Amino acid sequence: MLALQLLCNGIVTGCALGIVAVSFSFIYATTKIFHVAHAGVYTMGGYIAWSLLGHGFPAPIALLIAMAACTALGSLIQAVLYARLEQRSATHLVILIASLGTLAVIQNILAAVYTANILRFDLPWSSHVVTIVGNVRLTLTQLTTVAVSVGAYAGVMWFAHRTILGKQIRAVASNPFLAEITRLRPRRVHVYVVAFASALVCLPGVLVPLDFGLQPYGGVTPLLTATIAMIAGGVVSITGAFVLAIVITELQNLSLLFIPGEWSIGVTFFIFVIFMLFRPKGLFAAAR
Amino acid sequence: MDFWFSYITLASIYVLLGLSTNLLVGIAGIFSVSQAAVFGVGAYIVAYFLMNDVLSFLPALMIAAIGCIGLNILVTLPALRVSGDYFVVTSFGIQLLATAVFTNWTGGTGGANGLPGIPPPDLFGKALESSSDLALLCAGGMLIGCLLFWLVMRAPFGRLLRAIREDEVAVAAAGKSVLRAKVSAAALAGAFAGTAGGLYATFLSFIDPSSFDLDSSILLLTMVVVGGARTLAGSIIGPFLLLALPQILTLVDIPTTIAATARQLIYGLLLIAFMLFRPQGLAGEKL
Repeated sequence: MLALQLLCNGIVTGCALGIVAVSFSFIYATTKIFHVAHAGVYTMGGYIAWSLLGHGFPAPIALLIAMAACTALGSLIQAVLYARLEQRSATHLVILIASLGTLAVIQNILAAVYTANILRFDLPWSSHVVTIVGNVRLTLTQLTTVAVSVGAYAGVMWFAHRTILGKQIRAVASNPFLAEITRLRPRRVHVYVVAFASALVCLPGVLVPLDFGLQPYGGVTPLLTATIAMIAGGVVSITGAFVLAIVITELQNLSLLFIPGEWSIGVTFFIFVIFMLFRPKGLFAAAR
Repeated sequence: MDFWFSYITLASIYVLLGLSTNLLVGIAGIFSVSQAAVFGVGAYIVAYFLMNDVLSFLPALMIAAIGCIGLNILVTLPALRVSGDYFVVTSFGIQLLATAVFTNWTGGTGGANGLPGIPPPDLFGKALESSSDLALLCAGGMLIGCLLFWLVMRAPFGRLLRAIREDEVAVAAAGKSVLRAKVSAAALAGAFAGTAGGLYATFLSFIDPSSFDLDSSILLLTMVVVGGARTLAGSIIGPFLLLALPQILTLVDIPTTIAATARQLIYGLLLIAFMLFRPQGLAGEKL
């Protein structure tokens, strides 16, 4: 029974991290920037929603405002920092260090404003328990997380394959040089990509803390799991990233049967090492 | 006077760490946020041997250095086989994993409470207890480290490393093993970090996981970035400047509760500003 409960919890967290992985893969596949500061955007979304809920805003409005703020922050980072560095043909390492610096700045501003302690959301409906089968129970928050995440995944698939902007993004991702010639203006598309991905990452950024609470430095571990899922899924595949995030979180949750919870980071990392050794190009790479 | 001694001791230790980070990030071009983890492993190894009275200081330091060489090779080898970006994941992973081990392995590391009462270092049977002796010891260690770094960078091996930074493909085409050179650089970086860890443990006589977390890794990276990548001068200037920062901050009126946060915030801003306006740092070469 415990295994079944852990399985269900794994699906919930996995779906949320799947969206983090999808959003990160969107950025990485297009801009080729390993956007470490994405963890900061993720964390900021949760804090803004928390503040707005504290001021009595209704939940959907708080979520929308938080998403708008994340979008603004993401596009600011891309337009002001990354684009400028790329214009000066900075090396990969330089951009990476700048991104890490941005993460440190965001995290510590949050820590200075909200203190480094764990903050809990105060929503009466969120802890309402629903029985699924037998003894397996999920809170309303967890069900919302699954619903929103799967919906977001479907939305991203639709956006990437059916809309003109989505097609442009995929064009820039697959061949930036050709895109430049055909007047797609990769620079501008890059800003759109980061803006879109930042809005997307705000969803798990708000939903996951509803369950686990908020911490200013809490974004790094989810992002690490998400990037491992992205790499294991083959980097460019949206479905790959989403599915692998669920698989990895599942494995992590089931490992709780044998290994205490504080070592779960070790389990995640072990999965990554296995992938590096046996399938460094990822599972879904061959499909493309 | 004691303040100056402890400043010099700490700065010497961080110069060793700066050299280590510089070898990895500046010279081998491997992004790393896990040097603090290696530093911590060195510190815990020396603490273990000295507290249980198994070995004296120098052999313990040697074992810590060798252990960290092994650790650094182990973590760089698989990631170097694939792509540079994957090393970011490895590096974050190692750092978070190390923090988990330091915090949760209560039997070996004392957990979150840390290990108090590490005995002072001894040299040839004589215990070094006064702060001036410690400062001399650490400054000596720093000088040896700097000399080693300078010699290595002058040697054919150093030129090979420079060549790899210029053009990896050309080096490979000339029949040199890029992978082996990078792993050797990482090994040397491990030796520096392990030694620094041992000195740190005996200097403070108390270690806990918070000295070896992600924030400390970011501090090490900031030191190299501010001082300047790929040069000896850069690895010395960075630590000396950044360790003075907490003292400067005490002059500004910041509530003590957010002092650590303010420091980290400044490190982040420094990283961004230097990358934007002066990627070579104060006294370095092009990163």
